[in-house]
Amino acid sequence: MSKNYYLPQSNEVELFKTAAQMNLPVLIKGPTGCGKTRFIESMGEELGRDVYTVVCHDDLSAADLIGRHLIDENGTYWQDGPLTKAVRNGGICYLDEIIEARKDTTVVLHSLADYRRVLSIDRTGETIEAHPDFMLVVSYNPGYQNVLKGMKPSTKQRFISLSFDYPKSEIEKEIIKKESGVDEDIAQKLVDIAKEVRQLTDVDIQEAVSTRLLIYAGKLITKDFDPYQACMHSIVESLSDEDEVLKVLEKLVSLYFPRSSNVKK
Amino acid sequence: MLHYYLEFEESIGKVWDKYLNKKVYKFHENERVYFADISKSLKIFHHLMGGEKGKDLQITDKRYLNTSRTFLQKIAFLGKEFHLAWQDEDSIYLPASSAYFPTKELNEMLYYWLIAMATRVNNITDENIIDKNHATELYLINKYDGFKQFYNIASEYLIDKYEQLSFIKSLDNQTDKDLVNDYPNPMWIYPSPLTINKTKKTDDEEQDPTREESQDKTDTLNMKKQANQTDDKHETDGFLAFLPESLMSIFEQVNVDRCEDDTFDEDALYHAEDLDEITIGQKQANLSSRIKMDLELKPDTTVKYPLGKGHFIDEWDYLKGEYLINFVRILPQVPMNVIPIELPERLKKTVRKIQQELDLLELDRVKNDNLPYGDEINIDTWIEYCGHQNKSMHHQKFYTTFEKKTRDMATLILADVSLSTEGGITQEVRIIDVIKDSLTVFSEALEKLQDKFAIYTFSSLQNKKVYFSIIKNFKDKYNDLIRGRIDTIKPEYYTRMGAAIRESAKILDKQQSVNKLLLIISDGKPNDEDRYDGRYGIEDTKKALEEVKKKGITPFCITVDLDAKEYLGYLFGRNGYAVVRDGQKLPKVLTEVYINLTK
Repeated sequence: MSKNYYLPQSNEVELFKTAAQMNLPVLIKGPTGCGKTRFIESMGEELGRDVYTVVCHDDLSAADLIGRHLIDENGTYWQDGPLTKAVRNGGICYLDEIIEARKDTTVVLHSLADYRRVLSIDRTGETIEAHPDFMLVVSYNPGYQNVLKGMKPSTKQRFISLSFDYPKSEIEKEIIKKESGVDEDIAQKLVDIAKEVRQLTDVDIQEAVSTRLLIYAGKLITKDFDPYQACMHSIVESLSDEDEVLKVLEKLVSLYFPRSSNVKK
Repeated sequence: MLHYYLEFEESIGKVWDKYLNKKVYKFHENERVYFADISKSLKIFHHLMGGEKGKDLQITDKRYLNTSRTFLQKIAFLGKEFHLAWQDEDSIYLPASSAYFPTKELNEMLYYWLIAMATRVNNITDENIIDKNHATELYLINKYDGFKQFYNIASEYLIDKYEQLSFIKSLDNQTDKDLVNDYPNPMWIYPSPLTINKTKKTDDEEQDPTREESQDKTDTLNMKKQANQTDDKHETDGFLAFLPESLMSIFEQVNVDRCEDDTFDEDALYHAEDLDEITIGQKQANLSSRIKMDLELKPDTTVKYPLGKGHFIDEWDYLKGEYLINFVRILPQVPMNVIPIELPERLKKTVRKIQQELDLLELDRVKNDNLPYGDEINIDTWIEYCGHQNKSMHHQKFYTTFEKKTRDMATLILADVSLSTEGGITQEVRIIDVIKDSLTVFSEALEKLQDKFAIYTFSSLQNKKVYFSIIKNFKDKYNDLIRGRIDTIKPEYYTRMGAAIRESAKILDKQQSVNKLLLIISDGKPNDEDRYDGRYGIEDTKKALEEVKKKGITPFCITVDLDAKEYLGYLFGRNGYAVVRDGQKLPKVLTEVYINLTK
């Protein structure tokens, strides 16, 4: 049985497998906690390829991806970065939140993402042809970024793109049930809460509740935590620090999981 | 003797009043919950329940219903008027306070319940009121356990207290429907009241541009009143309370009702709340302020030179769900006869401080590696050299420097100069002064950063005239002349924001820069003297902003309007605006916001 539980929502599995077969790079867009990383990991498992994950950030340099010279008692030696490892040995190189990386860093991907499939390492003078099992996957969250940050069109247009969103209610319910072990009724309520909270995205809260948080809530409930408390700690408190928003989210949770003290006679 | 008798009578009256109130008055004063205290939460809850985000929440006026009152109620003059929840295209109207139930929790819950009801029911009429409300109630109690609990307690309590409401029990059996109209159920949504609202458009050609609604203090009456309009324009109406001969210095006839007291009535709000219906005259009131304003104006040497006859752009009509093609006329203009000025003394300190901060920032510095000389040794390059097979062939560039780099950034600042900016932040400082100072300080900062920028201001008179003034276009150099132009900015007319945003986007679109920012400085909501007010204006602005984003331009709004948060989130998104609480800090905040945005 697979280590990673992933429930397909649409045709993403076929698309990914076909892209892998045809050596095409893949770009995945979607909000936090909707299952992007889980999807890649489960695909890696299905395709029998290692997944090299790099979480991108402001200071990520090309050397962090490709590799650098290091020093030991014998002098200097070269060490491959995660991208070079994947290119040499085959595997999926997954660059998470690529939009956070500096634009000059992402340019090194260009020769790998088109028909050439080569990686040039200036510092060692090497040009490595990608292993047949090498696959480049990048992801980003369109809502969660600096207002002026975007992906360079020249980079964007080298990928097959897949848009992820939070799973459909039925699928999300199954995921919560399977991952946390709660019953049908609780899972349905958690999904309903999420559905309503997601209507606030961008206007009242920065980002809506992720499937991951719903699973956390479910896990707390299966450990005999009061459902109201479980939702407060895993969903409500994680979403906002503003009093009014917290109050409303608490109200919503109490509508689904009323506390007897909520409504006094 | 008479004195004692009157006192005795008064005491009896008090006892009687207390007795009556105790018997008839069923509200729980100590547990009363006020809409104003929870309105922000209710608004979010409305979004949460899937309500339209452009809709507002407001306080409703009382409505008179002919109910079957008990004898005591009749004596006590109670049970005639009710604050009922209802909605229309623009808003949901809710009671100003709630005290039906014996606990604060229940009274507060009633508001949440009404919001949930209102988002589910629509087009309520006298005919379908039972079916629609009842069906929604069933939906809510089936879906939410919390509402079920509330409903059970609340309806039981209401039936117990108001026997007229016992029909609630029999609703499932579809009987006793006649009783429904007898007494209003506070948990229901009611049809929109039939307002005899003849909001007929005045067809006067010359509207007085100095009169802006938001300036009128009575506008703060946050309540929907029944309105009626009357034609009071006939000069002969009204009793002449003065001897015409005594007027020695009036040379021309002015449109003024002499009987009218033109001082501002401090208690107007209080009186307005008590009125059943407000009758709106069409004559321009507040003559005193009008004259004052005219007198305040200095002779204006600057002239706005119109650039051509203007051009037309579209506007979004959310009611029709379509664009009104070429509906708005944009009139670009440029101020002439401007006297160039230097940076005003009062701003020098702020500008110097901001520039010092900019010097400290390294955001506009870029790291350059692999140089034969420079600020620091780059250890990586050194190690790399050591590891290189053929050292003689290796470039010996081991240094790093930090150089200044201009960013590929084009910013268009669009300032709202509608008449509401005439309003004061403090006794001495008006909003427009702060906006002008901000534009100056900000320009100095952008000049320092060497970012490309342009400044435009806008104001409007219906869709016929949207004045779009050029203070500085992208090609103009920032200099004393531009400072002079900023200095000539004056508040005028209204805020047709959507049109100004579309026009700005057209200009920004032509810029070659990679990053384009549209920075809007405003003090309030979109509004104009035609229907461009409330939701219509907000939806058009929202549409204009969507168009802007599609063009790859980032809009950002900075406002000094403290109540702005509710609709700004809807318009610009959560990260798309900043509210500046202290208007006088606007110049500094503006620069900080800009630097954070473009980091």
